Amino acid sequence: MTGVAITGIGLITPVGTGKEECWGALLSGLSGIRPVTSFDTARFPVHLGAEVLAFDPSEHLHRLDPALAGRTSQLAAAAARLALRDAGLDQAELDPRRTGVSMGTTSGEPLFVEQYNDIRQTQGLEAIPGEMLPRYPCHVIPTHIAIEVGARGPCLTIPTACAAGNYAIGYGFDAIRAGRADVMLAGGADAFSRITYMGFARLGAIAPDRCRPFDRNRKGMIPGEGAAVLVLERLPAARARGAHTYAEVLGYGLSCDSYHMTAAHPQGDGAIRAMAAALRESGVSPSEVDYISAHGTGTPTNDRVEALAVSRLFGSRAPQVPMSSIKSMTGHTMGAASAIEAAVCALALDTGWAPPTINFEEPDPDCDLDYVPNRARKIDPCVVLNNAYAFGGNNASLCLARPELGAA
Amino acid sequence: MNGKVVVTAAGVVSPLGAGLEKFACALYAGKTAVAPSPRFLGLAAADLGEFDPQPWLGSKGVRVLDRGARLLSVAAQMALSDAGLVQRAKDESDPELGLICGTAFGSVHSITSFDWSGLQDGPTYVSPMEFPNTVISAPAGQAAIKHGLRGANSTVCAGFASGLFAIHYATEFLRFGRAKALLAGGVEELCEESVLGFAKTGALSSSGCLQPFSPDRDGVAPGEGSALWMLESEETALARGRVPWIEICGFGSAQDAHRIGGFDLRAQGAAEAMELALADAGIVAANVASIVASANGSPVGDAMEARALRHVFGSRLSEIPICAPKAAFGEAGGASGALSAVVAGLALQQQASPPTAGHNHSIEGLLLSSSAQPISGEYALVNAFGCGGINASMLVRLWKN
Repeated sequence: MTGVAITGIGLITPVGTGKEECWGALLSGLSGIRPVTSFDTARFPVHLGAEVLAFDPSEHLHRLDPALAGRTSQLAAAAARLALRDAGLDQAELDPRRTGVSMGTTSGEPLFVEQYNDIRQTQGLEAIPGEMLPRYPCHVIPTHIAIEVGARGPCLTIPTACAAGNYAIGYGFDAIRAGRADVMLAGGADAFSRITYMGFARLGAIAPDRCRPFDRNRKGMIPGEGAAVLVLERLPAARARGAHTYAEVLGYGLSCDSYHMTAAHPQGDGAIRAMAAALRESGVSPSEVDYISAHGTGTPTNDRVEALAVSRLFGSRAPQVPMSSIKSMTGHTMGAASAIEAAVCALALDTGWAPPTINFEEPDPDCDLDYVPNRARKIDPCVVLNNAYAFGGNNASLCLARPELGAA
Repeated sequence: MNGKVVVTAAGVVSPLGAGLEKFACALYAGKTAVAPSPRFLGLAAADLGEFDPQPWLGSKGVRVLDRGARLLSVAAQMALSDAGLVQRAKDESDPELGLICGTAFGSVHSITSFDWSGLQDGPTYVSPMEFPNTVISAPAGQAAIKHGLRGANSTVCAGFASGLFAIHYATEFLRFGRAKALLAGGVEELCEESVLGFAKTGALSSSGCLQPFSPDRDGVAPGEGSALWMLESEETALARGRVPWIEICGFGSAQDAHRIGGFDLRAQGAAEAMELALADAGIVAANVASIVASANGSPVGDAMEARALRHVFGSRLSEIPICAPKAAFGEAGGASGALSAVVAGLALQQQASPPTAGHNHSIEGLLLSSSAQPISGEYALVNAFGCGGINASMLVRLWKN
């Protein structure tokens, strides 16, 4: 079976737009977390968010009319454009029938739900414009990308909440290996929404001040938004056209806690099984993993359970595996998060650098591992693991490697 | 990546019938579930009404499930029980038993209600129990908790093709050796928001009659329900002494990349989806003995499918029995593709294409009937096309050793 390479990266995040800006910010430890601007937080006990500021979709989109698409679709289609340009694949080169799109999301296009309720409250249901409604169901996100880039192959959304990006990249990997597509645009996207904010605030999960994953005094996560799209193609095809290959996708693993809708399994059962399945499929042993991109949301329980799972799977070597959470800088960008983090893993393999976990001050005896505190570190990894966990106990781990190490 | 993927059991919840047997009886009797719905001011819909999941799920832990999660959990209970795979204690459940669920509108009702209560009562008064139901993957997550499904758990949104996509995704997953057994199919709940969506876009039938492929068709009647297949690798099924029912033979999908909220009358994507499924199964159009159509009474959508069918099957089309089952179970969104796959399985099992409820005449060259039509041949084709450009087709046949 031929290897699948990541040859293009498109990022729109709270810390910047485009691969260079984002990666620069992450390695410098810059935070994209600020007071929320897109709605009034006066009635909330917390006020911070990680928004993509000054996003102008018309700067990126060629075909798709932004006025006809929701914000999640706009972010996603713009990220797809950036990814294709980064891959050096302009549209003329793509065979439409052999190009597909798989995208992850948590809430799809939640801003239409907000608009729906705002109109319902002020003018009644009769006033809701019909043209708004078909723009809501979340298959519109990859469909808008397909329209934008002319992709006519397999097209779907995998809305597995906060782990969705990994699922969608996994589907893209499978579609290429099964011969259903030559190029897959795969990633995740979510728009900042009062609904998500309200829900996490009600659960008491939002940090009042900073996001400090794995720190002893961590107080919660920070909701965010963004999009990431990766270009996946067969490694030999990428080499034949002289493309830059950031990384090779070796495999992934999924599991379900089957325990609780919002709380992780206390012993990390599902998280361990997802990581183990990803490593098994990749033909990699835990001793070969050089870096982990943590799910690391910054909530007291999730971080403790993730560290426990890593400790149980990696044993005595766990404290030697650098594991950082960029959510300390990007916030939790929901369905985009693990796609952005997969891009970060690819860039870590490509450049040799691991981004830091910022705001890390005091180690927690309950989860004392190497979180690459506060400063980026040169680690020259060969094999990396990207963890993502979600509501519903949906766990996904993705394993990437330097392309020259793959079986191609 | 190898090996056959087979169906060993099914769970079906539809206004047409709850349970595979009742569903099949009503389908072959030519009945329709489309009727004026008391929940929606008498609108013509295939509505389960005040659906009570208790006979299947008991009463514990059901209150927190939204309608979609209840429907899916009931279908899962049926399929697990039919397959002899009901899990007992949670921590002892099979870690390679999972669930892949398709949905079109997802959690639209739960997320809208949650936001609405925030608007009405203030953000600090919303229910923390309702928040998890706002995510689109909630029904699959809830069903996993309910039934102890610890293997791969995923949700797929591909419009009205979602249910078929979920079966394909699960099939691929089994072929890659990532699970032993997966429940796969779809769910859709009928709610105020989805009904309004159909109404405000002019998609609803004004006659209140869903007439697929009829020259008089005037729109859709929305439906709801859930259908799941228990998919296993042939090896696993045989090893545990199960006689498989159906084999999944091929899948194809194509995106119109045309526009949101409309069918592409050029029918290129729909035709390609069928052609790709044929190629994937390694067969030609002449091998297809029965067609389960996606047609839902939409003037443009049905014309698109008819055109695609003519393109793929040519002059032989008029000899292949077609069933358009949405005349019976309505446009059930993300469940439609899975319900249609079940219909294809029944057609092969009974060697008879089920009646298309209420059918009297169709646009030229399509072999539909208001009574069951005998079929002869091996393969059934299932179509699931959506307005929004995602087209999917699947080929199945009866399992044989």
